[in-house]
Amino acid sequence: MDEATLITAAQQGKVDAFNELVLAYQCQVYNLAYRIMGDPASAADATQEAFISAYQSLARFRGGSFKSYMMRIVANRCYDELRRRKRRPAKSFEDFGNVDEDANPALINGHEGPEEYAERQEMARLLQAGIETLPPGQRITLVLSDVQGLSYQEIAEATDVPLGTVRSRLARARGKLRDYLRTHGELLPAQYRLE
Amino acid sequence: MLSAYVDGQLSAGERVRLEAQLAADSALQAELEALRHTVALVRDLPPVPLPRNFILPQEMKTSVAARPRPARRVRPRRAWAAPLLTAATVVVSLFFVVVLAGDLLLSGMGGQAFAPASAPHKEAPQVAMEPAPVSEEIEAEAEAEGEIEVEVEKAIPAATSIPIPAEVPPRAATTATPGAEHYGVETPEDVEATALAAEGGGPVEEDNALAPSPGPAAMEEAAAAPTAPAAATVVMKKSVGEAEPTPSEVAQVAPPVAGEEERGVSEGEDVEPASVSLWRVLQVALGLTALALALVTVWAWRVRRQ
Repeated sequence: MDEATLITAAQQGKVDAFNELVLAYQCQVYNLAYRIMGDPASAADATQEAFISAYQSLARFRGGSFKSYMMRIVANRCYDELRRRKRRPAKSFEDFGNVDEDANPALINGHEGPEEYAERQEMARLLQAGIETLPPGQRITLVLSDVQGLSYQEIAEATDVPLGTVRSRLARARGKLRDYLRTHGELLPAQYRLE
Repeated sequence: MLSAYVDGQLSAGERVRLEAQLAADSALQAELEALRHTVALVRDLPPVPLPRNFILPQEMKTSVAARPRPARRVRPRRAWAAPLLTAATVVVSLFFVVVLAGDLLLSGMGGQAFAPASAPHKEAPQVAMEPAPVSEEIEAEAEAEGEIEVEVEKAIPAATSIPIPAEVPPRAATTATPGAEHYGVETPEDVEATALAAEGGGPVEEDNALAPSPGPAAMEEAAAAPTAPAAATVVMKKSVGEAEPTPSEVAQVAPPVAGEEERGVSEGEDVEPASVSLWRVLQVALGLTALALALVTVWAWRVRRQ
């Protein structure tokens, strides 16, 4: 069934139809939450809550991109959680990076050797650390744009801010991340270093 | 601007200007390259694998499926409610307007009819004690001038001044006339002056002869009823061209008039406020009902549109 049919069936209370949508978008939604929150547990909580909230508010869905609809919900969830953590900081930087590679075969690229794999892992770890130094608004905008591939207009709708704000936030986020990589990327391989 | 240029979000004019700057500035070119590299690194981030599935449990079905049904049931049942409430609101509002208009008309007419009678009634404790012929005379004068209250006030000082005959004549000659001109009522001073002029006697002797008699009479009236000053006025009027009233005549005059006056006052006070208050209650009730119906009607139309 196509997406519109699944949405209509889900609006009539058919959970199975909605779960089809969940299976189609859960990877993107979880990745977005992970890049914003920085740890798997928080990302999983935000993802589950986003899907439950989307299902319960599906009656208000008036068409358009379901992906944007989900991006908006999970981005708001993450934004609220980040603000709450800012008021009550509890996360430590060491929590980042505890990924079980054996349980995640997607991380293992059959075409690359162990060294390339390790370098790529280190690069990803550094990028994630740099992203987590950004303020919540810039962080969400950068992830939606460069990780999820949303357009400026889609980001503006998902975050409920003007187009100019999206543009300025993205410019600042990229500039800060660039400066972070210059500062901390001295040990990176040549292809990853910024001159 | 470099970030927007990387994403192709610049306008044509902005892009041309930036490219011109890039051509002239190598440092700016280096910045642009570093930015492009950063964006590329982020875009190449590998996807994070899912820790588990996030599908919803089956028990979520009932909570969502039940929601739309109540909204569908409401519409056909209450489809007639909004027009009916609208009609009721219009009817009650019309009633309210009619009652209000009637009240305004009646109060406008009744105010003119009641004004001359109500003033004497309100001032009953002071103005009363006048026998029928004299009261008609005073009422006529009141209608002409419309200020019976001031007459009473004038009569009171006149009555109180009676026991002091030595002081009255000089003032009576000068003050009584102006008062009479204003109010058209003969004050005790006027009567004395007139009596003195008619008799042709000296003002002092005549006053001395005259003053004591009205004084005791007036004092008896004051003791007999609260409307003593007016009674003194009456007595003084009678004394013009007539024999001086005896205390018995004064006593005969005062009580009946007082009783009649009291009855008249009580009846008027009972009838008029009762009808007015009932009218007001009806107006308030209709107004509140119309307002409540209007609010319910608005709500009913909103529910119907949903």
